[in-house]
Amino acid sequence: MENLEKALRQHPFLQHLSSEQVKLVTGCAKSVRFASGEFLAREGDRLSGLYLIRDGVVAIETHEPGGRTTCIETLMSGDVMGISWVASSRIHFDCRAREPVSAFSLERECLQKKMDRDAALGYAITSRLLDNTYQRLSRIRLQNLDVYR
Amino acid sequence: MSIAEDAPTPALPSVVNPYLTVPMRIAESRFDIEDVFVWRLEPPGEFEFAPGQFNMLYAHGVGEVPVSISGDANDTSSLHHTTRIVGGVTRALGALQPGDEVGVRGPYGTGWPVFEATGKNVLFVAGGLGLAPLRPAILHVLAKRNDFGRVTIIYGTRSPENILFRSELERWRGRFDLTVQVIVDRAGKDWHAPVGVVTRLVAETEIDPESCIAMMCGPEIMMRFTARELEQRGLDTTQIWVSMERSMKCAVGLCGHCQLVGTFVCKDGPVFRYDRIEPMLLVKGL
Repeated sequence: MENLEKALRQHPFLQHLSSEQVKLVTGCAKSVRFASGEFLAREGDRLSGLYLIRDGVVAIETHEPGGRTTCIETLMSGDVMGISWVASSRIHFDCRAREPVSAFSLERECLQKKMDRDAALGYAITSRLLDNTYQRLSRIRLQNLDVYR
Repeated sequence: MSIAEDAPTPALPSVVNPYLTVPMRIAESRFDIEDVFVWRLEPPGEFEFAPGQFNMLYAHGVGEVPVSISGDANDTSSLHHTTRIVGGVTRALGALQPGDEVGVRGPYGTGWPVFEATGKNVLFVAGGLGLAPLRPAILHVLAKRNDFGRVTIIYGTRSPENILFRSELERWRGRFDLTVQVIVDRAGKDWHAPVGVVTRLVAETEIDPESCIAMMCGPEIMMRFTARELEQRGLDTTQIWVSMERSMKCAVGLCGHCQLVGTFVCKDGPVFRYDRIEPMLLVKGL
């Protein structure tokens, strides 16, 4: 069986965490898989945790009346899905596996408790989430400029 | 030091009489995407140019516009231009048919650093119509593939319907000695490649900062964002080259329409090393 802790350490989101911190995160983690076409989450859901994507592509989509689907972003290996966690918000988009996806699921309540108890872990995870959020925000801003008009 | 110093490629072909418009026949014309047409022109003699240079195209009685050369520099018997219809002159040019004549002045400007890139890894980053000015450099590198290290092409555009040179990109993507990645701003469910912006792919591309030259062309904002991402990846701004698009009218550095401080994009560019042009790109209003 795969060593979950060792595998988690390889994910870019958790790189450079201390061994002790990775151990704490491992206690809240499990490996999950989604078939092509399966939804990781739907608009309006409240996510129960973070997904650290290992393989596959997740399409962040929305739909218009009449059923037309628009993909606004794809998340790939190394990405994090579920940054809405930062804002404790229900998610605004559908998140669909466009091809088979394997990921680590980090259970929110479990991780939150450990982050509250261990300030260093809390800081490490929060600063990674903020960095990830900033990167995504920068890209979305560029996308919104519609520079190829 | 002026940014015009250290021309990126040696012995750039230059026009004999920069004011003389030469009539050329349109041999082939097709719309590659909705508002972008591609021409093959037949020059009266051999037409030499360096990848990255441009010509002034004249629609009789309407006006003249600068358009980069998008064909193979090794083929001196024909000349390719890829033009987007954005105004009166380009609309008049787009209405011309095979057999019609167009006026051509050029080639002008500086070229891509294809000689300096020899022996190095080459990263091409194109956005939208920016693939057209980069195409001659890509064709040069592919023609001399063994002279270069890893070659990567990253192309971003608005939607799958707006992919320029789609069949060629697909052909390139099938090669084992080349990495081609395409990303679009938005797509429907039937699009199976990444969705997002080019900086996203740049962030994930394998880059060896010690031996890499990046050449990019696209909307100026995209190039600024991409240059920053490349810097994050360890590239120095001296390893990044961009092709600028400004309001070029005379093409010989006299009229001043394309002037950026002491630099004329038409004469000192359109291809610039990024460290030399960046200070001006960051000035609002220039």
